[in-house]
Amino acid sequence: MGFLAPWFLAGVAAVGLPIWIHLLKRHKTDPRLFPSLMFFEKREMSSVKHRRLEHILLFALRALMLILLALLFANPFIKRDPAAIGGKKVLVIAVDHSFSMRAADHLSKAKDEALSLIAGLKPGDQAQVIALGGQVQALTQILSDPGELRVAVQSIQPGDSRASFGELARYIRTLSESTHLPLEVHLASDLQKTALPPGFADLRLDASTTLVFHQIGKPATNVAVENVVAPARIFDPKKVRVQATITSFAAPDESVEKSQKNVSLVLNNKVLQTKTVEVPAGGRAQVEFLALDAPYGFSKGEVRVDGADTLPADDRFYFAVERTDPRKVLFVDDGRHPRAQLYYRAALDSSGDSAFQMEVVRPDVAGNQQLSHYAFVVLDDIGTVSSTLEDALKKYVNAGGSVLIALGPASAAQPKVPLVDETIEAAAYAGREGDRFLNVSEIDAGHPAMRSVERFSGVKFYQAIHVTPAKSRVLARLNDQTPLVLERQMGEGKVLVFTSTFDNVTNDLPLHASWVPFVERSAAYLAGSGAEQPVNLVVDSYVELRAADSKSAAAEVLDPDGKRLLSLEEATTAKNFAVNKEGFFELKTASGRHTLLAVHADRRESDLAVIPDETLALWRATGSDQTAAGASGPENERDKKPWPLWPWLLLLLLVVAMAESLVADRHLRPAADNPETRRKEAA
Amino acid sequence: MLQRFLDPKILGGISGLDLVAKTVVDGFIAGLHRSPDFGFSQEFAEYRAYSPGDDLRHVDWNVYARTEKMFLKRYRGETNCQVTILLDMSRSMKFGSHATEKIEYGRFLAACLAYLAHGQRDAAGIVIFDDDVRNFVPPSTRQGQLARILHAIESAKIGTRTDFAHPFRHVLEFHRRRGIVAAISDFWESPEKIIKTVAPLRFRGTELVLFHLLDPEELRPKLKHPVLLEDLETGDTLEVSPDYVAHEYPAKIQAHIEDIKTRAQAAGIDYFQIDTSRPLDDALREYLAIRKGKL
Repeated sequence: MGFLAPWFLAGVAAVGLPIWIHLLKRHKTDPRLFPSLMFFEKREMSSVKHRRLEHILLFALRALMLILLALLFANPFIKRDPAAIGGKKVLVIAVDHSFSMRAADHLSKAKDEALSLIAGLKPGDQAQVIALGGQVQALTQILSDPGELRVAVQSIQPGDSRASFGELARYIRTLSESTHLPLEVHLASDLQKTALPPGFADLRLDASTTLVFHQIGKPATNVAVENVVAPARIFDPKKVRVQATITSFAAPDESVEKSQKNVSLVLNNKVLQTKTVEVPAGGRAQVEFLALDAPYGFSKGEVRVDGADTLPADDRFYFAVERTDPRKVLFVDDGRHPRAQLYYRAALDSSGDSAFQMEVVRPDVAGNQQLSHYAFVVLDDIGTVSSTLEDALKKYVNAGGSVLIALGPASAAQPKVPLVDETIEAAAYAGREGDRFLNVSEIDAGHPAMRSVERFSGVKFYQAIHVTPAKSRVLARLNDQTPLVLERQMGEGKVLVFTSTFDNVTNDLPLHASWVPFVERSAAYLAGSGAEQPVNLVVDSYVELRAADSKSAAAEVLDPDGKRLLSLEEATTAKNFAVNKEGFFELKTASGRHTLLAVHADRRESDLAVIPDETLALWRATGSDQTAAGASGPENERDKKPWPLWPWLLLLLLVVAMAESLVADRHLRPAADNPETRRKEAA
Repeated sequence: MLQRFLDPKILGGISGLDLVAKTVVDGFIAGLHRSPDFGFSQEFAEYRAYSPGDDLRHVDWNVYARTEKMFLKRYRGETNCQVTILLDMSRSMKFGSHATEKIEYGRFLAACLAYLAHGQRDAAGIVIFDDDVRNFVPPSTRQGQLARILHAIESAKIGTRTDFAHPFRHVLEFHRRRGIVAAISDFWESPEKIIKTVAPLRFRGTELVLFHLLDPEELRPKLKHPVLLEDLETGDTLEVSPDYVAHEYPAKIQAHIEDIKTRAQAAGIDYFQIDTSRPLDDALREYLAIRKGKL
């Protein structure tokens, strides 16, 4: 028996209170008048004795109440043998079906192991089958039907997820707490070292849990395509470079020398190039393919490495590319800032992929343009925006378009920022002479449009339009707290507001190194039309289907086999989707954008190194305090489970409290109110 | 006519002592065939069994005719006697476990005795005392004497402690003639001291009657729990247990009563113990019956 909070036992000292009340406290009563005490004698001893006898039950109950209260706070527990609790235990059969179990016949062996465990179950034994991947999937309830358990094991299919023993331990802990039964967990797995969580504490098991490992297969050397770097969009096929990393995961006890491997670049199932590379044992090799002659539209790319090994599934790496023409950007300028378009065009053209072509129009004709043909629109401090243009822009943005607004002297006189409807307070000025200028003090560096801008370091802002952000998010502020960059989501699209101009009059940004990255990143972000997400993903990643406030159109996801993965309801409501296997997923977001996603397994699964025996022994011993009690305590003592006593104590306390009330009522009620007295008087 | 007894509670509800006395005594006398010979002064006749040698002239032949037994009818002198009532007003008399406290009962009793004496045309007087004489109405047959006595009784206030010595010395001083002295008290004093104090009166030929008033709670106290008792006169407190009260105290109080009774008899003093829960007229009737028999 032990106490979780033994210091509360000091409360037992409160038992002194009833002792004082009952035995030590002078009995204070109003004296009763009597004509003469001639014939009375002092018999205090008999009187006290009588009082003791009279209230001994009340005293005992009160003392017991205090003791129980102190015990309750001290939270006592006893260690009980889990077997003695009911003599039952639950067999948990965990089958690893992660990507690495695709090696050789590992999964079928694991399933065979699980089936043999089920075959060994006695009638009445309870068991549960779970599948271990990135998440733990309970395939059955806890049941004693071997047939159902067998079916569950046979239904386990190879997966592409990365195993996580941390998730397994968490599930077992939860199961143990909910069932209050001892668990015997059998893990049929290749026991990959990379499946261990970062912190060993995450592997902790409950005291009543026994963990048994069934190692499947042996560590073997494995060569894998670890990574492929390819552009998501191609504008000029000749300028494209595809880089692949080939890694050899060597088994510790195998003496493998460096090997020659053929690495092929495949596009739409057509081998474009093949190169031979020498991969050192336990090392990496880089392969670079120049030019990628992809047709217009989406293409399914793949880098393959030849040579059979234990895990052929990781000998290829998928990637998706989209070939498009450079997209057009509409630059609306009224000619007041001639250098602005010069600087902006130069920055766009100098960005890596030459993905944009800029068209400049005057504001009076901009409203007549077919805006949906443009990747985004830039309003360069045009002051008053005509209602035609504003309506067209709103329609364009709500449908998924993007607008970049620069505010300058022409906008200072306007009451509101066009389109985003934010109030313009005033123009914040700083003189050019001396050091009177403003710098950027705060920046949301995590925002896609603000990456690589290096906090606009060294840029001097002489004028910025002070906008009070009510509905917009501020991405950067000047040191006088004037917002510099704001963003507002509108419908499916978005609007960025730059509260200064793009020339070097109100600031010297175009002359600094952060100008090109700012234009490039913001352009890429604005042209993304919806959630900016990579097209090359790892299994179990989430794909965003729609913006948080968008409920308009339906989204659609097709799996590598061409099956629709979303139900009708999910298509209109789901905000994201998890890709759970390797291959190419076709995605149509709610904004109407089509994307081809290449999904590949986590390459940590390719490292087949096994967890050392010592680590396994430590894991096995985590829950049952074997490490602490190990050397001294007997085996059965370690397996005992703390059994809290507070519910019973609480029940007992309630009973005692009720009894105390009854007894106190009987003893301490004034004589006039006492029914017994009244009965006697009546008699 | 059926005898009716007056509950002390009813007496307590009657406002004037004269009315109380009248109610008690008149009703009581009516119940006992009102007779001019009946009373406790020395003027009424006395019957005594005939013994050889007695004068036959005094034989009551009427009685002989009815009963065939010979009784002598003795005539007493017609002189009025002095009746002095001593009423204890000490604090211990201010006790009562029921509607009528001992002091009230004592007042009623004193008033009744005074009324009786007045009816007999005896010279009645009263001494109100506690540890000293608080009021004194000398015995007299003057007109208005009963009213004076009743007023003295009514206006008497509770005093402090009881001390028989001083009041009885006072009575000794003025009580020159033979007469009757009726002392009404709860006699919370040692029997020896009581008798020793009152006995000198007897030596002068005065008849002495002790009315010992005791509340039922004094005779048989009932305690359920240990209690702290406070002496009404001294203020002393004592914690007593129900055990003691149930078993030892009754024996002691009974021994006390017996002691007084024995010593009183030995000294030729009449002693009559009255339980204050008892109807007053019943108690008086019994006392007078005893006294008649004795006389």
